[in-house]
Parts: sequence; structure tokens; C-alpha cells
Amino acid sequence: MVPLVMRLMVRPKQGRGFNLWLPVILIWVLVAALLLLLLPFVLLAALLTWRSGPGKGLLLIYPLMGGVLWNLAGLHVEVTSEESEILFDFR
Amino acid sequence: MNEEKRKILDMLAQGKITVDEADRLLAAIGADTPGTPAGASGRPAWKYLRVQIEPGPGSESGDRVNIRVPYKLIKAGLKFASFIPREAQIKVNEALREKGMDFDLSKISFGDLEEIVANLDDMTVEVDGQDKVRIFCE
Repeated sequence: MVPLVMRLMVRPKQGRGFNLWLPVILIWVLVAALLLLLLPFVLLAALLTWRSGPGKGLLLIYPLMGGVLWNLAGLHVEVTSEESEILFDFR
Repeated sequence: MNEEKRKILDMLAQGKITVDEADRLLAAIGADTPGTPAGASGRPAWKYLRVQIEPGPGSESGDRVNIRVPYKLIKAGLKFASFIPREAQIKVNEALREKGMDFDLSKISFGDLEEIVANLDDMTVEVDGQDKVRIFCE
């Protein structure tokens, strides 16, 4: 399932940090719009490079990226060092 | 245990069906039979790959890392393997050969990678050095 919310937390040992819950669904809408805008250029590049090889790969980029974004839910990365604590989590 | 699986096992216990028939019926309802490798039914036995790094007893840094990667994300990411340029594959093969591993990356298909990843459920890697590294599936 596509992640709807991303938690981003940066907490330095000294000073103030932040803890954000971002509605990434809005970002996906922007990403989709951007990909749609780029589609004619990608298709043109795929057409021009079809014979030399990478054209077919270029056509696959969209579904592959979609697959990665769609399955980001559950990704959790947490790094704690002596200076700070960083966390991001897709839900 | 669900109802269908129980009925099949009951019929097997009563001698109404043979072991082979029970195996086929269990496979048909999607139940994993004993001895079936994880992932053979298309579903892996794990959902997340975990990587944990913690400072060991002799560690000077207190850095900790905790990463959880969903299986589906790894599976989706594996498809990008087809984008590895041929030249890069040749370089990797040469580097592996230098280290004594006669290995050809181009011979590994997406299906092979998917099968390896799906069967990682029993894998646990533990490295005890300055830092304690633990890689496992859950």
C-alpha cells in the first residue's frame, strides 16, 4: 500500500530538533504531476535510443518507480549518534 | 488452523484420501505444507529485513542504527537490477574473480534473486566486533 504519512524526526543532543508528520500523499500527487510532465521527453528519449539499447529500459522506469513508491510503507530508518538522533518512518 | 485445512487433515487421518491427495488439496487452498520451502507458495515467511547496529563493549562511539525494510520494497527494488549496465557487471565479475570467486552476475536472473530474497527467513547474520551488527528477517 502506498504510504500516506512520513514521520521525520531530527533531535540533536544539544539544541532543539523537530518531529514532523508529513502527509506524503500530497507529495505523491506532486511527483505524479511531475512524472506526467516529463513523460513526453522520456518517450522521445526512449524512441531515440530504442535501437542502441537503453530505450526499453527508459520505458520501464515509470512502473518500477511506481512499484518502489507504492511499497515504501513500513520502511523505518533510525540512526542515533552521540550528536543527534535521526528517524524517518513511512506509514 | 483454518477449517478447510482441518477437514483435509481429518480426511487424511480417516484414510479417505492419500498423502499425495492431501498435499495437492493443501496446495490448492494455499496452505504451506510441512517441508515446503518459504516462498514456494509465492508468499515469503517474513515481512521485514532488519539491520541493527549497536555499540559493542569495546566501542568508542555510541552510534546505533536500526533499519527495517519491507520485503515488498526489496522485491520492487530488485527489478532495478536490470538497469545495471553491462560494463558495470563486467567490472564486478572481474573484482569477484580477483577475490577468488568465479561468479557471473549476468547469469543471475530476476527470478533467482526473487527466490533468494523470499527464502531469507531463516537467515541471521551476527557480527561481534567493536560494534554489534545483526541482520535478520522477521
